[in-house]
Amino acid sequence: MKRMLTLFTPLILAAALLALPWAAGVAVSAVNECQDCHGDKTIEMSLPGGATLSLFVDEKAYRASVHGKGDCTTCHSDAKAPHGKLEKVSCGKCHPDAEKSYNGSTHGRDHAKGNKDVAWCADCHGKHDVRKSKDPASRTFRMNIVAVCLKCHNDRVIEEKYKLPDQTVMAAYESSVHGMALKKSGLMGTAVCSDCHGNHAILPGDQPRSATHRQNIPTLCGKCHPGILEKYEKSVHGKGMRGGIADSPVCTDCHGEHKITKINDPSSPVFAKNIPKTCASARCHENAGIASRYAIPKKRFSTYMESFHGIALEYGMTKAANCASCHGFHEILPASDPESKVHPSNIPRTCGKCHPNAGPNFAKGPVHVEVTPQKAMGVFAVRAFYTIFISALVILFVLHVGLELHGRRRRKRAEEGKKE
Amino acid sequence: MSGNPTGTVYVERMSLMYRIQHILLMVTLVVLALTGFALMYHDNWFGRALIVWEGGVLFRGFIHRAAAIFLLAQMVYHAYYMLFSAEGKRELNEVWLRRQDLDDFLQAIRYNIGTANEYPRFGKYGYKEKFQYWGATGGIFLISISGICLWAETFSMRFLPKLFLDLCLIVHGYQGLLAFVILLFWHIYNEHLHPSVFPMNNSWLTGKVEAEWIRQEHPLEYEKLKQEGVL
Repeated sequence: MKRMLTLFTPLILAAALLALPWAAGVAVSAVNECQDCHGDKTIEMSLPGGATLSLFVDEKAYRASVHGKGDCTTCHSDAKAPHGKLEKVSCGKCHPDAEKSYNGSTHGRDHAKGNKDVAWCADCHGKHDVRKSKDPASRTFRMNIVAVCLKCHNDRVIEEKYKLPDQTVMAAYESSVHGMALKKSGLMGTAVCSDCHGNHAILPGDQPRSATHRQNIPTLCGKCHPGILEKYEKSVHGKGMRGGIADSPVCTDCHGEHKITKINDPSSPVFAKNIPKTCASARCHENAGIASRYAIPKKRFSTYMESFHGIALEYGMTKAANCASCHGFHEILPASDPESKVHPSNIPRTCGKCHPNAGPNFAKGPVHVEVTPQKAMGVFAVRAFYTIFISALVILFVLHVGLELHGRRRRKRAEEGKKE
Repeated sequence: MSGNPTGTVYVERMSLMYRIQHILLMVTLVVLALTGFALMYHDNWFGRALIVWEGGVLFRGFIHRAAAIFLLAQMVYHAYYMLFSAEGKRELNEVWLRRQDLDDFLQAIRYNIGTANEYPRFGKYGYKEKFQYWGATGGIFLISISGICLWAETFSMRFLPKLFLDLCLIVHGYQGLLAFVILLFWHIYNEHLHPSVFPMNNSWLTGKVEAEWIRQEHPLEYEKLKQEGVL
């Protein structure tokens, strides 16, 4: 046996050596063979309804693709010349992980139901020209992802058909701070669709497993904004949110989602002038239900807007203190916490940012509370006094005028009597 | 004493000095009221329109404080004039509050409701004029103090609790409203709508009133003028 092997080894080797160019030739010739037909730019197939589908395959693009060293039949295993309609290509054969997460995604589930509009591998990655996502020419290169997603998500027909959020909601990304960083400044580090929503495993935000579900938002934003996440986690909002309080705000509640803009943009919900409305929206600090549920003071917005700061801000003096000027932004803590900017011991320093002379004495007295006897007796009493006093005075004036006019008639009669 | 072709006799009631002071005060108070109420009623259409008209909330403040300085200057000058000039001393004596004023007021009420037979006889200034003068003086004093505390907020904050400034704000606003109400109801009634002067007591422009009006409305002053030989 051993002898036989020694005898045949050179032969096998020689056969293998001879077969190598032939094997390579098979691959090359297979592509060439396909290109005999598919290299023709005019080749097309008629579709029902009179439309036509081009069957041309750009060999150059294929050769430059990540699969370009392969063979047509790797994906189109049922192809032989000539052929009818081929079976759908299964990418999962080679990319099982991607297929698995895709199948669990909202795109994958709809695709499994036979939905032809929903994005499938080729819709994002391309067909014959699939490139690595690190390749700037790739559809899935960071700078190109937005265009790929918006192809469907900025399409009114698709949105109306599947009851997706209004096209403007997602297209607003393009003018957001993230979108501008991408488009205008050409920054790779900015957030693109897939950074927040994921790629293969995209799920709608209302599903707890979704990357964009409320409970995952702080961690998600914190991927790129870790310093802010750290502050937020220590804040009353962060602790509340981690403690499972759904009313506690996450990043997007204040900053928005797709249309996040810079804080100096007047349309931003966290632009100085808009901060009071954002903090004290009907949902949060102006909401009586929230106030009583978490035992926080009521009517934060209206009482602030009655203060000089509120009036000045309303009329465009963005220098005037807004909620965040005193309470902080991401690090907000309740006034009872000694670390809080509005803890009585810190009030002189907080007010002192704008009013350098504010002393410890200044901290005495409530700030933007409802004017009730329990909370602001002094102001309540003075206001009540003036209201009663002015009303009484008006009534007395009117009475006096009436009486005097009555008395004048009497005087006039007496005067006439004297004259006669 | 002066006459005219129709034979009506006029006497001076407001000297040029007082007419100037009165007009300046009037203009200043109107400016202060317009800029002040703009802030007080910022949350309705009236305040919003005023703020826009006054060039925004910042400029509104500038106008309000400029007018306030002018008002304070007028107050200081007026106090000086009333205390140290010959005419001022005379007028201060006339307008000084006396027990008689309360009696006059009560007697006027009694006469008007029919329980007294004599209407009180007033001097140059009756209780209505004195109420106006001292009401305005007291009001401006209070409004000035609270206004200065609010304006000098960096100074106030060093010594005063925020509660005090909250009170200042309430006092300042409501005192302004009070002054406005007095002007609207009391002064407009007395000087414009009162049957004896309707449509207007011209003395704030001409300085003069009819001697007959003095005789009817301020008989003691009339007698005094007669005694002095002015009439």
